[in-house]
Amino acid sequence: MANQEEISIDVLKASCNKRKKHVKLKGGDAAFLITDYLVFGLFALLCFFPFYYLFINTVSNSEMVARGDVNFYPIGFTLQNYKDLLALSDLGRAFVVTVSRTVIGTALMVVASAFCGYLVTKKEMWNRKFWYRFLVITMYFNAGLIPGYTNMLMLGLTDNFLGYIIPAIVQPFNIILVKTYIESIPGELEESAFIDGAGHMMIFRKVILPLSKPILATIAIFGAVGHWNSFMDSVINMQNSPNLHTLQHKLYIWLNQSSNIASVIDTGRSSSDLEKIISQLNSGKVIKYTIAMVTVLPILLVYPWMQKYFEKGIMLGAVKG
Amino acid sequence: MAKKIVISNGWTDKLYYPTRISLLFAFVLVFFSEFNPARILTQMNKNMSLFTSALSYERIVVNIKYEINHNYIFKSDIYSLMIASALMVAGVIILSVAACISLGNLKMKRISNYVTLGGAAAVIAGFFKMLATYSLYKAADLEIADTVGFNMATDKLPAALFFMLGFAILQLICAILLVVFQPRPAKDEKCEMATSYKLFIMFLPFIVLSFIFSYLPLYGWRYAFFNYKSGPGTLNMDDFVGFKWFRSLIENPMTRSDIYRVMRNTLIMSGLGIATSWLAMAFAIFLSEIKCGWFRRLVQVTTTIPNFISWVLVYAIAFAIFSNEGFINNIMTKLTGVPHNELYLMDNHALYLKMLLWGIWKGIGWSAIIYIAGISGIDQQLYEAATVDGAGRFQKMVHVTLPGLMPTYSVMLLMSVAGILSNGMDQYLVFSNAKTKDTLEVLDLYVYTLGIGAGKIPLSTVIGMLKTLVSVTLLFIANRISKTVRGESII
Repeated sequence: MANQEEISIDVLKASCNKRKKHVKLKGGDAAFLITDYLVFGLFALLCFFPFYYLFINTVSNSEMVARGDVNFYPIGFTLQNYKDLLALSDLGRAFVVTVSRTVIGTALMVVASAFCGYLVTKKEMWNRKFWYRFLVITMYFNAGLIPGYTNMLMLGLTDNFLGYIIPAIVQPFNIILVKTYIESIPGELEESAFIDGAGHMMIFRKVILPLSKPILATIAIFGAVGHWNSFMDSVINMQNSPNLHTLQHKLYIWLNQSSNIASVIDTGRSSSDLEKIISQLNSGKVIKYTIAMVTVLPILLVYPWMQKYFEKGIMLGAVKG
Repeated sequence: MAKKIVISNGWTDKLYYPTRISLLFAFVLVFFSEFNPARILTQMNKNMSLFTSALSYERIVVNIKYEINHNYIFKSDIYSLMIASALMVAGVIILSVAACISLGNLKMKRISNYVTLGGAAAVIAGFFKMLATYSLYKAADLEIADTVGFNMATDKLPAALFFMLGFAILQLICAILLVVFQPRPAKDEKCEMATSYKLFIMFLPFIVLSFIFSYLPLYGWRYAFFNYKSGPGTLNMDDFVGFKWFRSLIENPMTRSDIYRVMRNTLIMSGLGIATSWLAMAFAIFLSEIKCGWFRRLVQVTTTIPNFISWVLVYAIAFAIFSNEGFINNIMTKLTGVPHNELYLMDNHALYLKMLLWGIWKGIGWSAIIYIAGISGIDQQLYEAATVDGAGRFQKMVHVTLPGLMPTYSVMLLMSVAGILSNGMDQYLVFSNAKTKDTLEVLDLYVYTLGIGAGKIPLSTVIGMLKTLVSVTLLFIANRISKTVRGESII
């Protein structure tokens, strides 16, 4: 049996390194491995193909796309669709809003989490335990949608760009991550800086910040993805100011145009009529694909390089405060 | 590290208690929309707080454009209202700064007393400016009523304004007493503060932010007990109705059937999610059987990407694949030669299952990561021992890997049971349309459509409130179970 295992590993190595080796594999085992590889390969394809499909449709000749010919590879390569997007001014504004909220929001959140995480490791702080719990406990309850909305109204943060930024500054979960990380930094470093006459701010800037870069990168990337993807805050809090809608919100509006209009005229029409109307409305599908592509592209580009940070994030998340 | 600064200045120290407590109240008051001193006319925007009326002219005039155009109210009056509000807000901010300074040594306390005097003076000045504007307007209003025979609906001065005045006067008196009776600091004393307070003051901004955005919304639960009259951009508190809205959940047949449908959707979706939660673990176990490095990485990268795109983008993808001109219809047309125009996204069949599949597509790769890490944490000797005992691949999976992952899985399961009412609304919002919305409406989405869409604020608040209470209770139960069974808490 032990032999069998070694052999199967050999086979795998061989298949990886493209070294041809004649080894005998137990039938069932081989079948299992093949199925395993096949299933995962298929699932990976299932996850990848939609993005690819979107992409080839946006760079192909729009007539071909309209005829439904572009399914596996681009036909008549063109960047016209992306150029057309530039003409949609409200989309440009949404892009600017989304990028700025991502950059500003993430930067503030990271600085705040770092500083906050540092402060809660300081045992001398007045009533530290209480205030730390005061912050962390907010992860587990939520006043609800309407109270949250009326609160934003009360603060004047609806229809206001700051409404994206300020509520997202204090993130208890990220503070826990940073705190846990800072606690793992040897205390001697801080002590020696303190003996050298550095104050808390100085220690934070010169000792803690540089040492906690990995965790800050992790929360930064989570924060940025969160900001980029966030959609409900735009829908709920920015109802009356289309200028402040995020890219995701705009995409949602574009995608839903057809079915929204269809639902309005739904009453008193036969379903074949409805289908015809929807077909007409859906004809601008390329523009929708292109908007979706623009929205998803930053994540697709960033993700593979940042994957290790993401994984670190979830593993650290398993450590509780 | 901490330098002890002993401060005891006799009875004068006690004067800081009323100062700080009244400051807390004043601070909270600044954000309450019931306290809206800029509201001279009843038709003015009601969602303003002192804070917003100090900052935004636009928000003050949003409902009274007509009155301004007809000179029933002058712009200058609105500006003086803003100035008055700003004075009061600035006063409260100055008072807060003073309170922070007063945590220091005697010298700093001395400084803080003077700052408090200034802040209190600003608040009081703001109050009288406000009073003056109101009375001026009252007079002007009567004049208008005389000439055009039309009485503008003037609003009363908000009662909270007098509270604010009271707080300010209290602060003023305390500060004066302190200035007079507090022992003088030594000439050579430097400004110093205990480390514990210094750290606390640095931490204070975060406490304030957390309070404003997580605790203050709880005050919105009051909508559950009031009648609500809708109007353009207003939340009009009329009268207290007790538990009327809670009762209407059961008594009103329309609401009752809605709740039944929504709860059914919610529980089915969550139930399906929980019933398939083991899939992520299986994903991890079978993936770890693949020993070929690059292939594994490839699978991991591609399958985790969907987790990082929003549900809107998932819907965009669904649209590209399943819409009437999407991939599936294209392929069907090509294969059969007959034009296919199926509207898969408007199809109501097996909707729960479809939503489940989208959820799995989006989440499985990511959920599996924690199990993959768990597998790499399992002691290799266990596998070796199992091999020696003659265990095959499957036996090792079942008897070594699976038990190794069970603790993690049980935590995940408990968490998802605790979150059974929270499916999140993004997925169901983006996928819902005329045909599918009845089936897709889960609790979160129902709260949204009821509150934001239909404007039934109280009912929506009631449901949201009950949901929060049930969720928190479930979480604590789950935590207790975890504590007794595993000896470890999950929150």
